[in-house]
Amino acid sequence: MKAFGEIWESNLFQKWLMAITGLLLVGFLIGHLSGNLLVFMGPDAINEYAHGLRTMLHGTAIWIVRFGLLASFALHVTSAIKLARRNRAARPSSYNTVEHRASTLASRSMLYSGLLLLTYAIYHLAHFTWGAVHSEFYVKACPPSPECTDCIPDVYAMIVSSFQQPVISVAYVLAMIMVGLHLNHAIASASQTLGLRNRRIVPIVRTVGPLLGILVALGFSSVPLAILAGIVK
Amino acid sequence: MNLRLHIWRQSGPQDTGMLKTYDVANVSEHMSFLEMLDVLNEDLIAKGELPVAFDHDCREGICGTCGMVINGRPHGPLARTTACQLHMRTFKDGDEIYIEPWRARAFPVVRDLVVDRGSFDRIIQKGGFVSVNTGNAQDGNTLPIPKLDADRAMDAAACIGCGACVAACPNASAMLFTAAKIGHLGSVPQGQAERSTRAMNMVLQMDAEGFGACTNHYECEAACPKGISADFIAQMNKDFVSSAFGGRD
Repeated sequence: MKAFGEIWESNLFQKWLMAITGLLLVGFLIGHLSGNLLVFMGPDAINEYAHGLRTMLHGTAIWIVRFGLLASFALHVTSAIKLARRNRAARPSSYNTVEHRASTLASRSMLYSGLLLLTYAIYHLAHFTWGAVHSEFYVKACPPSPECTDCIPDVYAMIVSSFQQPVISVAYVLAMIMVGLHLNHAIASASQTLGLRNRRIVPIVRTVGPLLGILVALGFSSVPLAILAGIVK
Repeated sequence: MNLRLHIWRQSGPQDTGMLKTYDVANVSEHMSFLEMLDVLNEDLIAKGELPVAFDHDCREGICGTCGMVINGRPHGPLARTTACQLHMRTFKDGDEIYIEPWRARAFPVVRDLVVDRGSFDRIIQKGGFVSVNTGNAQDGNTLPIPKLDADRAMDAAACIGCGACVAACPNASAMLFTAAKIGHLGSVPQGQAERSTRAMNMVLQMDAEGFGACTNHYECEAACPKGISADFIAQMNKDFVSSAFGGRD
């Protein structure tokens, strides 16, 4: 019997891990997006939502989700890098001329859009979760003091004051274009890797993937764009 | 017609190799691509130079021996056509044509355009067969197979093992080849007994040979002279994962 370690290290198993974790991350993105859109319903809606996330299940829910996300992210990224290195090694000398017949810009740039998104994710966490960058916009709802245990950041104020800076907004919108590009290939690719492919499902995933990429990119970008335009203030 | 060819010349596996330029005159549009190379080689031999080495056998598009990347496309510009069935009427006078070997770590260049595809044989040896007791041949039709399953098996069995899928794949992956073999035997009752072991062993051998992984570009499907569908790759993925979690081997 083959050892599990050998199977785990195989290209196909690594691809399978990428597909599963990738779909989990897409699920998270959709949840994240629906939360973000609460910004259009005013400060109370999104602040209460953010507070609710932090206090759900006595504050444990957010850590369960964070742990799952971190694990998915780590597996997705390490598998991607491992496979990309093997793929490079599989063709030591490149062709003088190559003509692409079936691949797309999105499919060929998955590694690059993915690495840019990894950089963006760290920046985004440093911005809104850790308050490490742009900390002048990291606004607490009440002044921090030892007595105040559920002091939460004023999410609405943070979002609006940050995205009123064109540089920050442009960086976020560019990152969302990367998300859209990544998702364009991701859904159909994951369905193929999971073996979900026949004449019924191929047209569906080939439509849903790019459409979801566009919707997610537009949805996330709508917040900074609306703030820049002064619709949300 | 007169053509300018840029052909990959490499004296052996250790040589770095380079593109060399040759002019070929009076090429008939009725020649096949390989016949055009034969003419060039006659010329080179007459001049005392070494002819361009390339693989070929049946020249009918069914053996899978020939194969070269022509202007960036394995087997050249025509869909579902092997290099030997590509005719010079596809090109026009004054064309420049780049001719390169399949490029993959698992297909080391033997000489010029000839590569060693022994890695495919070793993948087959790991499970591209069904084990049956020899003896009297079974009566025909004792094993009923629905027409659709038989057709599906035949679609996969059309693979001639030429390696164009590997050559076209940006990752030099052999997934379409391996999937065709697994899908062929997995579509018929005779292949069921060893189905799980077959998927596991052939896939692991593919990795061991140094082929890359699939990133679902489907360049392989577009390049395949037999039009093998990437559906078989999805089937292989399913067979492999179910073998990983449920197989007893």
